[in-house]
Order: sequence, then structure tokens, then C-alpha cells
Amino acid sequence: MAMIQTIEASPDEIYDIELEHSLLEANARLAKENRALLDRHEITAIDVMGAIGSGKTTLIGRLVERLKDRLGVAVFNGDATTSTDADLIANQSVPVVQIATVNGCHLDANLVGKALQKISLEKLRLILIENIGNLICPAEFPLGSKARVVVVSVTEGPYMVRKHPHMFLGAQFVVVNKIDLSEAMGVSVAELAEDVHKLKPDITVIPTSCKTGEGLDDVMAALLAV
Amino acid sequence: MHELSIASAVVESVLEFVSVHPVKKVLVVRLAIGELSHVEADQLRFCYMAITEQTPIQDSALEIERVEAVVRCEKCSYRGRPKYWDDALSVGPVPTLQCPDCGATVEAIEGSDCAIKSIRFATEDDGLAVPAT
Repeated sequence: MAMIQTIEASPDEIYDIELEHSLLEANARLAKENRALLDRHEITAIDVMGAIGSGKTTLIGRLVERLKDRLGVAVFNGDATTSTDADLIANQSVPVVQIATVNGCHLDANLVGKALQKISLEKLRLILIENIGNLICPAEFPLGSKARVVVVSVTEGPYMVRKHPHMFLGAQFVVVNKIDLSEAMGVSVAELAEDVHKLKPDITVIPTSCKTGEGLDDVMAALLAV
Repeated sequence: MHELSIASAVVESVLEFVSVHPVKKVLVVRLAIGELSHVEADQLRFCYMAITEQTPIQDSALEIERVEAVVRCEKCSYRGRPKYWDDALSVGPVPTLQCPDCGATVEAIEGSDCAIKSIRFATEDDGLAVPAT
């Protein structure tokens, strides 16, 4: 085996430099730039977060159906690899940008900034951004949206909020989805809402069923009032 | 695994620092991670080790300090530690944004960030580096 020679620095050659360099700042700065661009065009962007299967795409699809004849709406679909969700929304003939994160577990402000360059912002009033299906990572990366929505569904069980508390701290709205199944699942919508309010009392909780349409007008009104 | 994004940002910053300072070897990188940031220290250490392999900062240690959360209530002027939720299913109590005094929603004023605090390094002894204060 080759002999490895090591040299240790003597203490007087060792220095500590204070940096105070924020690691989240680069994203936060880009998020601010996105927000400024959106504000200039009077566009509201909403970041829709939630687990895989919570119903983010379906919710966005239902909202687009209701809104597209009334105002300019576009959708950004974040997905690790597939364009399934983007294809579903594109069927409704609204501008859609697929943001493929490849192996990334969250959208970031840089990706959203690039997506904003892909579409014409004239005449748009609302952009719905579907984040990656993940209840942890997106929380740390603001995108420049005016509000963040977390979608949880009763089919995910009664402990979704308790298990992922951090996700809710940065959100303004929680959509409790698939309430048509709450009885079959034995999951209480009121208890999920109670858990959310323990974390953040002023968060608006809106129960919905994308199947029956219940609550969708409330979501629409809430997002347009942001 | 957003720890990988954070670790990449750390490595990028440290390599940039190394490129403009007379550094012979980076010994320690010290981070301050806020209690309200969602960064897991062990995962971050692992990612850091993996990314720094075969770079000039290989074998540098990552020291992580936890920064306590401080919240402020606009309604009742409370300022201090957040209220914790004990019966959440997490390993420890979970910080909330509910005011411990009046129950309104509070604003987090400290403990949300994740930052490089300082770097400890050995120099080529040419007197260019600024000694620690």
C-alpha cells in the first residue's frame, strides 16, 4: 500500500470566516422576481401542493372548466417525469406548461420563472401551479405565488395533517378533497380541519368533492379574492 | 429529499469561497438551520458528504447548529417561543403558528432560515487571509 503523507496546518494558519450566507435566499430572490413580473401583469398565481393522489390535477381541471370562459387562466404542471397531468389540462384548450423536474422533489422559483417565459402573459388573470406530489419538500421553496393551497383528501387517512405539519404553516388555504368518500373511509372532515387550525388558526379550510362538485365554487371564490 | 438541493447550495457556496480565498484545506463548514425550516440534519450531512467527494473540499466536516424559532403576534403583541403541538405524530413536539397567549395566528420572525454561518479553513501561509475575530 502506498504511504500517504498528511500535513496538518498549525493553529496559526487556521481561520474562521463569518459568512451568514442564506441558502434559501437565491430561491427567495427569484420568487420575488416572479411575483413582481406577475404583479406587473395583474396576474394571481396560486401554488397547489399536496400528496400524489390527493386530487390536485382533478381540482385544477374542475376550476379551469368553471373559469376559462370568464377570465384568462393558465396552468403549470410540475411532474417528475410524465406529462399525464399536463395532457389532461391541455384538453381544455388553456395554456399549459409542463415543468419536468426529472428527479427533483419540488418546484422552485427558477423553474417557474422559466415557465413564465413560455407563455404570453397578456390577458391572463390566473395561473394555477401544480407542485410535485410531495408533502415535505415544496414547503421550503416559495415560487412567487400570491397564495399556497394544500390539498389533502379523506382517502389519505385521518392523520395527514399531523404527519406533515410543516406543509401547512406556509399555506393560506387547505382543500379537504373527496368528501363524498369520508363516510366510507371513516375519516372526519371536521377533525382534519381542526388539526389544520391547531397549526395555523387563520388558514381557510374548504371541503370539496371534485366528483359531486361540492365546494368548488367556494374554492374558486376564495382564490379569486386573494 | 430537498436536503440534496440545500447541500448542493452549500457546496456551491463553499467552492466559490475557496476559489477566491487562499485556502489550502477547508476544515469545517458551520450551518445554522432554523427550527421552522424543514431541513433534516442527518440527511443533509449525508448529502454533503456524497457531493463533496472528489472535490477540493472533500473531508471537510459539516457542523449544524439549530436556531430556535421566535414568533410575534400582531393581535396581543406576544413575542417569544412558538406554541408546540404535542400530540402531532412527529418524534418531538411540533412548532405551530398559533399564539400561545391569545390563539391568533402569529408570524415567524426567526428560525425559518437555513444559512452558512462560517467556514474554518487552513491557508497557504501568505498572510492574505483575515484572522478570525
